[in-house]
Amino acid sequence: MAQQLLNAIFIGSIYALFAVGYTLVFGVLDVLNLAHSAVFMLGAVIAYSLVALHGAPFWLAVILAVLACGLLGLVIEYVALRPLRRRQAPPISALISTIGLALIFVALVEQATSGSLFSWLWQDGANSVRFPSGTVPNPTLHLAGLTIEGTKLGILVTTIILMLVLGSVIRFTQVGRALRAVAENRKAATLLGIDVDRIFASTLFISSALGGLAGILFGIAISDISPYIGRDQVELKGLAVIVLGGMGSIPGAVTGGYLLGLIEVLAFVRFGSNIAAGVAFAALFVMLIVRPQGLFGTRLRERL
Amino acid sequence: MDFFIQLLTDPIGFYNSHELLVAQMGINAILAISIFVTFYSGQLTLANAGFMAIGAYTTVLLSLYPRWPLPLDMLLGSLLAGGAGVLVGLPVLRLRGVFLAIATIGFVEALLLGVILNVPITGEGQGLKNPTADPLGGIVPILVSIPVLTYLVWRLTRTRLGQAWAAIREDELAASSNGINVPLYKMIAFVIGAILAGYAGALETHINFFVDPTEYGISRTIQILTFAVVGGTSNVLGPIVGAVFLTALPEILRFVRDYRDVINGVILILVIIFRPQGIVGRGGLALIRPRWLHRRGRVRGSPASAL
Amino acid sequence: MGVLLRLSDVIRHFGGVHAVDGVSLEIEEGAIFGLIGPNGAGKTTLVNLVTGYLRTQSGSVRLGTPAGEVELARRPPHAVAGLGVARTFQTLRLYRNLTAVENVLVGMHPRRPDDTLAQLLPLPPLRRGEQERLEEARGLLRRVGLESERDGPRPAWTLSYGDQRRLEVARALALRPRLLILDEPAAGMNPAEKDRVRELIQQLNAEGLTVLLIDHDMRLVMGVCRQIAVLNFGRKIADGSPVKVSSDPAVIEAYLGKEAEKTAAHVPGSEEIDVQAPARAPAAAEPAAPLLEVKELEVAYGAIQAVRSVSFGVAKGEIVALIGANGAGKSTILNTLSGLLRPRAGTARFDRLDLTTASPDRIVRGGLVQVPEGREILARLTVRENLELGAWVRRDGQVVEREIAELMERFPILGQRRNLPAGQLSGGEQQILAIARGLLARPRLLLLDEPSLGLAPQMVDAVFEVIERIHKEGVTVLLVEQNALRALELADRAYVVETGRILLSGTGSALRRNPEVRKAYLGG
Repeated sequence: MAQQLLNAIFIGSIYALFAVGYTLVFGVLDVLNLAHSAVFMLGAVIAYSLVALHGAPFWLAVILAVLACGLLGLVIEYVALRPLRRRQAPPISALISTIGLALIFVALVEQATSGSLFSWLWQDGANSVRFPSGTVPNPTLHLAGLTIEGTKLGILVTTIILMLVLGSVIRFTQVGRALRAVAENRKAATLLGIDVDRIFASTLFISSALGGLAGILFGIAISDISPYIGRDQVELKGLAVIVLGGMGSIPGAVTGGYLLGLIEVLAFVRFGSNIAAGVAFAALFVMLIVRPQGLFGTRLRERL
Repeated sequence: MDFFIQLLTDPIGFYNSHELLVAQMGINAILAISIFVTFYSGQLTLANAGFMAIGAYTTVLLSLYPRWPLPLDMLLGSLLAGGAGVLVGLPVLRLRGVFLAIATIGFVEALLLGVILNVPITGEGQGLKNPTADPLGGIVPILVSIPVLTYLVWRLTRTRLGQAWAAIREDELAASSNGINVPLYKMIAFVIGAILAGYAGALETHINFFVDPTEYGISRTIQILTFAVVGGTSNVLGPIVGAVFLTALPEILRFVRDYRDVINGVILILVIIFRPQGIVGRGGLALIRPRWLHRRGRVRGSPASAL
Repeated sequence: MGVLLRLSDVIRHFGGVHAVDGVSLEIEEGAIFGLIGPNGAGKTTLVNLVTGYLRTQSGSVRLGTPAGEVELARRPPHAVAGLGVARTFQTLRLYRNLTAVENVLVGMHPRRPDDTLAQLLPLPPLRRGEQERLEEARGLLRRVGLESERDGPRPAWTLSYGDQRRLEVARALALRPRLLILDEPAAGMNPAEKDRVRELIQQLNAEGLTVLLIDHDMRLVMGVCRQIAVLNFGRKIADGSPVKVSSDPAVIEAYLGKEAEKTAAHVPGSEEIDVQAPARAPAAAEPAAPLLEVKELEVAYGAIQAVRSVSFGVAKGEIVALIGANGAGKSTILNTLSGLLRPRAGTARFDRLDLTTASPDRIVRGGLVQVPEGREILARLTVRENLELGAWVRRDGQVVEREIAELMERFPILGQRRNLPAGQLSGGEQQILAIARGLLARPRLLLLDEPSLGLAPQMVDAVFEVIERIHKEGVTVLLVEQNALRALELADRAYVVETGRILLSGTGSALRRNPEVRKAYLGG
């Protein structure tokens, strides 16, 4: 049981990391970025590509992949989001637009086989691969009767450090305040002289970098990298997490991530893997009905 | 290109050699109509694939086990989908916009993962075999249904109910002040959408020998959404045009068949950014422009404004 | 004639805010009843309670019907409408993409039989019903002064603001209501248009319609209502005829202003009192070398021309005021100056900066800072964080820290509440925070948009003192205000803006004595 709890904490970390990116964009731009899961997948793919196809050392691959994902975030902003903002389209349009971008990303990887246009990035088409063994050192620790894999511990530590850093930046720095200002009231922020477009771009950069990192960590720990990991593993669960935690709330995303990890593991232990998968959505459903703003979210009231 | 040539010069021959494609276009058209109804009332619901699954599985199961006649099976399948619509709608329709979309996605996934893949009677992950399927004859109900449904839905938008839906879509709070029972009417739209989706699912099983659970996931719903967005949601023809066009597209673009999804994605983005009113839009392909009032063919308010 | 609407001890709280705190009143059938009070007094909340958008927590709302009194509380809005209560919305809620006629047709919904299933077949007898409804809709539009579909049917959002307000009334009338609730129906209209609204209300009332009117324009309310209730902080503080209410000291203190002599001119029927003002050197007509120069500015929202060929200037060290009614275009001008909107034509120069093309952040860095309407405080950030953000464009962190400390001394309320979320401050305190925040950006020109909006009179005094103080310290100020009297007392020069144009300009004192201005904006 305790072993399972460890699993829950670890998978919860990945969910949390992924969800933070999701919720950051929702909080600041008011947009549900459904291309986020595609970036998650691309993070893993790019890191894998750098290591397996181009022989880069792991630490370098991670840094480059994360940066690349940040840049993809900028692509999302400039291609899918900014044009819609310019013509003041309602938020649903942005949702659909990011869906389109996600379709493109996934399809491009799916079609990349050896000899194709993108074979420098990916050669395995729709298949699933894993990082070459030995890419990441993975010592196993034995503590109090529990088996702890080094990589999973590393993931937990990384996640916690990142969350603390992000939280501090948002709470204590002027830039963090600017982010919160833009999230709360775009007009007021503009009148303060904040370049809102630049804040949006930065937010997408950070969010996508985090999403890509989550994907890399996933790839290492679960040893599964394919064009579908975004869609199958985190896209909808990420939604469940931010709904549970409260959309637009970072502590909510973190809490929700761990909560979902816990729920999933408990359901798995009790009911077996099939039901466990559906549990996330049952939880989402219930939360939306009972408390739509999530655990940490705030109620929106429309003015009459 | 020979696709078009054949379509235009030899429709009968085209039909014979592309039956399955035409059938699929028909099914997708009905699905498109089902999402149109909910869109028209201002709701972005992404649950249609789930209702489709209910319609499909119920129909096949009823034809396999109690062995009831097919039309009855289909009717019951559609109605059951409608019933599910009521159950899902009750808690969910209070939500707006993005939250509604997410809740309906949640329902579909929960249904798929929690129920369909786990209950032995549905064949779980392996799906169901449907020995009574009739790929050739099965196309007839599809082709007959489409004009009937199109007409009914079009008339519906001109009734008092349809007018109320338009008001709800524009401004729910104002609609209440005009005496419109918003929750009830939203539910009605939702249930009609569910029944239509269930019906489409039932029709689809009749032309396939196999019911495949993976057909009914979130990708299907996004596909249906794409039909509506690309076709345009200002009148009922829009999603139908979108469905026909996008279903045929892979055939037309057979030479880039591998990059089909990429093209779908690109089309989606281009449409939503540059032509949000879709193909039909205001002044697009609209062949028959349903009139709200007797006017001289002027522009009318469009649900696309919700996009 | 019995009582049509009877409220008994209606209560509605939101957490710690007592929005409606035990209000009772009676509206007689056939009355024109006015409901007034400062912003935030609970007027719209009360209307929302009556029409079912909010649930009462205690008390009852009874509607008189031929069959006896019916309880409205806890009924959903559509049920209340079905009983014959129609309303308009303070924030104007039209079906924007439907045409005017379509909007009105929706209003008829409860009166139409539910013939949906029958309508699925296009049979002729049903068409007749449609035709009749169309005629009625067109008639209603004419009634409110809207020429229906003059240029062909247009979506409602393309109508002018005044026309949209009128349309909302027509839609409400389509219900054939017994009680019509009008929530600020004349907002944004010029005096002539307001007169037409007054006439319409009187006509409708003559035909038997009971009207409940909420508005801030005292001339309108006092001129058309026969009975008025005054709300303040959720409680009713007065109830009676216009004369009685306007001379009630509690009302004068709460709403019309502590210095009643200055504002007694608001109420028609009272003596015209000559307003005393401190002597001020009359300023020159237009500044020679203005810091801010606006020439022939034209700003439009889609089809609505909000600002038409406006020209004015502000010299260094002046306080200039733009006065005029709600919706006259004043805020549009300020928003254009701040770079939030782009003009269709005209120029606006701030020193050497072209405001019509510069980005908003560049404008702020250039020294043109706006304190927006409604404060737009970042409610979830603390007072201190709000101030820190005020200095976003500055690089000298140490100096900023010092200035923040100084501001907290000058305005002790900021110091006391420094770590509280700004949303917990009262309206007046927020206004002071907003001004302090604006100051931190080291503005050379400070734009103040409606600083007195929604504030109790005592707070208005405090805020205007602050403005006067910072002006003495050398900040140039461009002030937009609905409260014409106050603005004109403070300003060196002022411009009167109406429906997007500048009507008059002159020194503050000159305009105060101008009979046109007195009539339109000072209530006589």
